[in-house]
Amino acid sequence: MRTLRWLVAVLAVTFASAALGQQVKLTFWSHWAAEKIKRDFVEEAIRRFEAAHPNVKIEATWYEKNALYAALKTALRAGTGPDIFYAEPDQVEYMENGLLLDLSPLDWSGIEPWAKQIWTYKGKPYGLPLEAWTIELYYNKKALADLGVTVPASLQLSAGSFTDLVKKARAKSMTPMSLGVGDRPFPGAFLVHEALVKKLGLEDYANLLAGKLSWSDPRVVDTLKLVRSWTEAGLLPTTFTTLKLGESHTYFYANPGAATFLMGSFYSSRAFNPPDKGGEPAGFQVGIMKYPAVPQGACEECRTLAVGGSYVVNAGTKNPREAIEFLDAFVDPAMANRWLENVVVQTGLKADLSKIGGPHAAYLKELFAADANAKYFFGLPNQRMQGKPKEVFTQVFNNAFPAGTISVEDAVKQMNAAYAR
Amino acid sequence: MASLVAPTPPRAASTALRVDRPPWGAIVAFLLPAFTVYVAFTAYPVLRTLWNSVRTVLPRNAEFVGLANYAALARDDLFWRAVQNTFVWACVSPLAEVTIGLLLALALYARIPGRRFFRIAWFTPVLMSYIVVGIIWVWIYNYDWGAANALLRAVGLGAYVQAWIGDPRVALPSLIFVTTWMWTGFNMVVLLAAMHSLPSEVLEAAELDNCGWAAKLWHVVIPLIRPTILNLVVLSFIGKMKIFDLVWITTKGGPLWSTETVSTYLYKRAFEWSTFDLGYPSTIAVVWFVIVLAGVLGLTWLFRTRERLEY
Repeated sequence: MRTLRWLVAVLAVTFASAALGQQVKLTFWSHWAAEKIKRDFVEEAIRRFEAAHPNVKIEATWYEKNALYAALKTALRAGTGPDIFYAEPDQVEYMENGLLLDLSPLDWSGIEPWAKQIWTYKGKPYGLPLEAWTIELYYNKKALADLGVTVPASLQLSAGSFTDLVKKARAKSMTPMSLGVGDRPFPGAFLVHEALVKKLGLEDYANLLAGKLSWSDPRVVDTLKLVRSWTEAGLLPTTFTTLKLGESHTYFYANPGAATFLMGSFYSSRAFNPPDKGGEPAGFQVGIMKYPAVPQGACEECRTLAVGGSYVVNAGTKNPREAIEFLDAFVDPAMANRWLENVVVQTGLKADLSKIGGPHAAYLKELFAADANAKYFFGLPNQRMQGKPKEVFTQVFNNAFPAGTISVEDAVKQMNAAYAR
Repeated sequence: MASLVAPTPPRAASTALRVDRPPWGAIVAFLLPAFTVYVAFTAYPVLRTLWNSVRTVLPRNAEFVGLANYAALARDDLFWRAVQNTFVWACVSPLAEVTIGLLLALALYARIPGRRFFRIAWFTPVLMSYIVVGIIWVWIYNYDWGAANALLRAVGLGAYVQAWIGDPRVALPSLIFVTTWMWTGFNMVVLLAAMHSLPSEVLEAAELDNCGWAAKLWHVVIPLIRPTILNLVVLSFIGKMKIFDLVWITTKGGPLWSTETVSTYLYKRAFEWSTFDLGYPSTIAVVWFVIVLAGVLGLTWLFRTRERLEY
């Protein structure tokens, strides 16, 4: 009898081991360690997926972006990268080097076509575009009323009206626009590229960034002169070059306060925190208008739409089926709505906008109104450029040009030289 | 019949032979750990960097490109801008740090009042990391409320208020000032120690010869502590040729590459230019290693003592 009990125990252990052997473990590395709302959303998705797929266990590791990128560069090179990881579409080096799995089997019917297009490289899609954002011109409703500036029904001021806004704000010792580049390579360039995309239209602007259109083109020069006229009128904070992204938010809505704020629609991730955690003060009324019209602009409704946080699958994964199944679990209008309601920023997933609720529904409505009838240019310049043009664009248009430390002529010269081979 | 058997060597001679033989087991046992660490973390990376520098190194693919990377580097204007900035930093900083450090050391050597406080106060910056120092100085250099501009406004020099690390014209000098502030105390302490170890009879003899303060400093003290000065200059030179942390925290090489150093440029090329290629960054590392080595050898040659000092 004792021998029999031992035999049963051994068999039980053996079967359990076999069952465990069928358990698939997916490693998952993601940015957003410090962005609780986004992390909560993804962790909830993991829990739901694991509940629906008991044989799959997802082991998530959360990083800050720079640490994640550094870890991935080493791990992918060594062939020890995670099965699924966070990436952004500007990281074309992953695709160029065959490090990502082709995600064609994903259910793309539930994903916005533009988001798929952004993640398509040589005809194949490589990323699940979870986070998307537009560049918005936020404004302090009360401050603009005090300045006597009325935002038209079209939500777009003319260039001249915007110049007046700048001058009126300065006359009242108010900073016309909060913006800072102390810790990011892109916010300062919003000023120039939103103007250029309107002036040139989608095709010529793409040509400009690709080096197929000269930066000496009179339309480009005129646009740069327009932006320069705003910065010379005192558009930006005196601390522009050292003001960090998070600080530029509080600069706008708290201390010292600014009339407008040119920022990605991820504004909500900071602004909608409680006031004691850096969010908008109680009673603050934020409005959203379109970037000012540019004289003789080819496409005044053109604007930038960028895909941000996305998930990709390592080409070397041993469990491609399960990895794709996990990403597929995001492709659901209910998930997209949950993202919109909780994270309060756009997504590349198709959502059911008629069912959007939650405490920020009014803000989302205003955001979608500002985006109505827009023609999108997909991706920021620093997402579309590589190598030297990217470096020069960042140095010149993120920092020096808005700060007024380089002339229009020199900026044009630097950019043309950057593309010269 | 004579015996053909060789006589057995005496026991003592046999023992002596064994003692004379190098104890290879012990030698290997003691050297192996250090040798392994050296090979793994110094020799191999250096050789691998050299190997990489003549290749395009991508994941799963390393293609030999000969001297193409070196030719591209010779034409890379951003690299030469970074070289220029780094050289300016590496030449100005040692002079400033050692000179000011020497003056502070002399002040302490002369037993000024409050010398204990000053010794600690002047040395403290060196105890902080570049990260902390960078954050502090970003605050100090803040245009609106930073201490630098606040001071200028307070003393009626508001016209000189500026974005210290935001303006390409002053960003590099501003950062050089930070490293000078940080490292002068270290130089001071080392020089003070060197002064305290000077032979008193030489100094007394100089005093007996009615040697003035300045003459004693120039003709006696400085020549005697010259090896220490040389070491400090070389250390400072090497440190500034490699500087990365402070720039990364404060300006990331901007604005307009005015504070770009070779280390920050190398990092950007390796990790921020949307490429996996490690070949070109390795080329930068190799060229820069040769330049730094040449600089150190040049400095050593420049400062070498032609005549042996006797005292």
